[in-house]
Amino acid sequence: MTMFQHSLAVIIVAILCFALAKKLKACTEIALLTTAIGALLTHLILPMGVDPRSPLPFTEIIRHLVEGTFNYFDVCMTFLTATFFMTLYKEAGGISYLVRQIVGRFYKKRVLCLLLLLVVMMVPGAVTGSGATTVLTVGGLVGAVLATMGVKEDRRVALVFMLAAMSAACPPINLWTMMAAAGANMPYVGFTAPLAILSIGGALFATFYLTRGTKSDSEVSEVLATLPEVPKGWNALRAFVPFVVMLVLILGARVIPAYWPVIGLPMIFMLSGAAVLICSPKKVNVLEVAVTTVKNLKELVGIMVVVGILNQILTLTGARGLISLGVVVLPIWLLFAALWIILPVSEGVLQYAVAPLLGVPLIMLFNMKGFNAIIALSAWSVMWPVGDCLPPTAVVGRAATMQLDYKGNYYKGFVKEALVPMLFVLALCTLAMIFNNQVGDLLGV
Amino acid sequence: MNKLKLNVDTVKAIGIIIITFCMAVAGYLFWEHRNYKEPVVVSEYITEVKKLSDYSDVVKGTVNDCNVYIFDSGVEGGCYLIWGSTHPEEPAGVMAAELMVENLKVTQGKVIIIDRENNSASTNSRVGEAYPRFFTYQTDWGTKVWRFGDRHANQLDSWPDPEVYIHYPSGQTLANVDIRNTNRNWPGKANGLLTERTNYAVMQLIEQEGVDMTLDLHEAELEYTVENTIVVHEKGQSVAAMVSMMLTSETFDVPVGMEFSPTALHGLSHREVGDHSDAASYLVEVAEPMLDRIRGITDEQLLMSGKDRFVMMAGERGLLYAPIDENGWPIEKRVARHIAVATKIIEVNNTVNPDQTITIEGIPTYEEMMENGLGSYYHNPETAPADRVYYD
Repeated sequence: MTMFQHSLAVIIVAILCFALAKKLKACTEIALLTTAIGALLTHLILPMGVDPRSPLPFTEIIRHLVEGTFNYFDVCMTFLTATFFMTLYKEAGGISYLVRQIVGRFYKKRVLCLLLLLVVMMVPGAVTGSGATTVLTVGGLVGAVLATMGVKEDRRVALVFMLAAMSAACPPINLWTMMAAAGANMPYVGFTAPLAILSIGGALFATFYLTRGTKSDSEVSEVLATLPEVPKGWNALRAFVPFVVMLVLILGARVIPAYWPVIGLPMIFMLSGAAVLICSPKKVNVLEVAVTTVKNLKELVGIMVVVGILNQILTLTGARGLISLGVVVLPIWLLFAALWIILPVSEGVLQYAVAPLLGVPLIMLFNMKGFNAIIALSAWSVMWPVGDCLPPTAVVGRAATMQLDYKGNYYKGFVKEALVPMLFVLALCTLAMIFNNQVGDLLGV
Repeated sequence: MNKLKLNVDTVKAIGIIIITFCMAVAGYLFWEHRNYKEPVVVSEYITEVKKLSDYSDVVKGTVNDCNVYIFDSGVEGGCYLIWGSTHPEEPAGVMAAELMVENLKVTQGKVIIIDRENNSASTNSRVGEAYPRFFTYQTDWGTKVWRFGDRHANQLDSWPDPEVYIHYPSGQTLANVDIRNTNRNWPGKANGLLTERTNYAVMQLIEQEGVDMTLDLHEAELEYTVENTIVVHEKGQSVAAMVSMMLTSETFDVPVGMEFSPTALHGLSHREVGDHSDAASYLVEVAEPMLDRIRGITDEQLLMSGKDRFVMMAGERGLLYAPIDENGWPIEKRVARHIAVATKIIEVNNTVNPDQTITIEGIPTYEEMMENGLGSYYHNPETAPADRVYYD
């Protein structure tokens, strides 16, 4: 048996294990863990090709499994702390206050209101690089305002998901670009314009496409009457201070990095949470909020932990390399025709790990062919987050349904509604990728 | 119902026992990786072993307060600083640096060597890459063991990362994890994070010792354009060009190229050391198939033999910047190339800059290392005099 056949067998067994586990109604986390263990056992049983291989002691197998769980440690910390911050804000009544203010002032100015919501959604993801953070911080708020504007539930979730995905792709921080560029030793320079055009273009299309046909024809007072009451004592100053704290802590590191301490996003969200407690006119049970946060995110964090294990095992067994090789040896015309499917699907499987896995070899391939790698990588980095509603991980999609308390069917409801904006973004990015040199000349990168 | 409850509880209990067992086993292995010390039997001609903190106390008490091996002939001449393990996932660097530390004799000028420039990055593995923790080499007296590590400093030593890394002093934006990559934060920062402070201390060393030229030892994936080459600052271009020509025509089967250090790409040693000191800065790359994302099964064999069938398949389709066949890129060849480049830089620089002359002995030639392997050039710490054994 050759190494090629070995790694191919590992991939086939992994797919079969996942399918079987799902058929037996196992949750996604258990199904993914079964997949990883199935792949590992196949690796241990089958011959590994003609070249000599190192022994893999039992203790090292355990080490690989545990090490893999740390793959997305920082991302999980960000999920937990961002959600804790926003849950505190929600429990204190801050969300209710802001929703009432937005509806009261902008309900009748529909286009302006939608553009304001777009900005509110884009900012958290643009500065953190995480679509899940967008959903977990402002997704609920925006969803509530959209409901008052008559946007149906399926479309609300679809729009919150699409805006979150585009916010993650929006500069200044695009983690896929950063990871792939770092792997290919490219500076993170020149990406701002292409990323902004593609992601903001996608966000604008999604916003107006998914709110089409709805009207703000009720009286403002009637709409306000349907919204939850705000605890006494809230005002604009109290409402904005926690967000000001968050923005100052994030932007300070950008504006004066030489003098600003590095405290990391989790601490920034915890300090913003502390600001909520200081500003809130209502007493909030912090322990209860913390427990609720962990309970709500149990599945999301669980998936990230298990995907980390799967990534480690696929790498160990050569399956990851075979997938990567399989992509870069495709003829270039086929790559242009297939990446719009490959990238979102691979994002659904491996999350951010897909950027170094596929991004780095693709950058090197595009460099070799004389293409503009900055434009091509920007296009891929806007396509990747579109896959964040796809199985098995579906991290941002799940977060959106959780935050908006969605009761509909995941695929037949919200994903179906999101399909047209998703295809629009993928088509836009594919065009940018195909005409990479022309777009590069136009943008001067 | 009770039976079902009991079953669920039993499953949970078994699950907790398994998880605890895995955590205990993995925890011990992580601890072992972090605490293993590599013995180095220094050459009998060494003049002094300092710590990096002797040049700047910004790294004092940290894991990156590495050993600085000094070979001073006492005869006026040039001063040459070589370091390995900027990226501990590139083992040829530390092996080449250590081989020189164990065998070098300097008869004119001064040579300073650091085996592990980013020691912290060698104390953990690169999560998601399924790397082995250690790599070994068979010597005449037994097995020599090194830590295999990450590209970035251990997060136990430097955490959290910022959302985006802004390089000091250029202001260039880089991926957030690169704040723990010592080849992205030259010339360093006295009050920065661990890796920035490490590079700041090395810059102090360069200034205080009057270093004339520096060499940073690296390896690269075969898919990467900067491969089997010397990247050089403007100050060293004539020397690097000669080294490249001579080694390519006389010694190496695969050519070693020469590239100019890009002026717009900041944080790298070949750019910043040259810009912020009097030294001419060089960086050398050699092929390491283990670093390719398209590699197959990941293990120590691949690391040391450099043999990979998937990388070969990519090569057959013209997707690589270095040749590869079924013989791979064995570690002997990678280390020998590094040492040949290091010594040839001295030889050529002596001609180009006679006031910086350095003469050395004791270092095997490329041909000797390829013929004999590397084992006979590493010495047994068990039988060596205690005052010649140091730990990295």
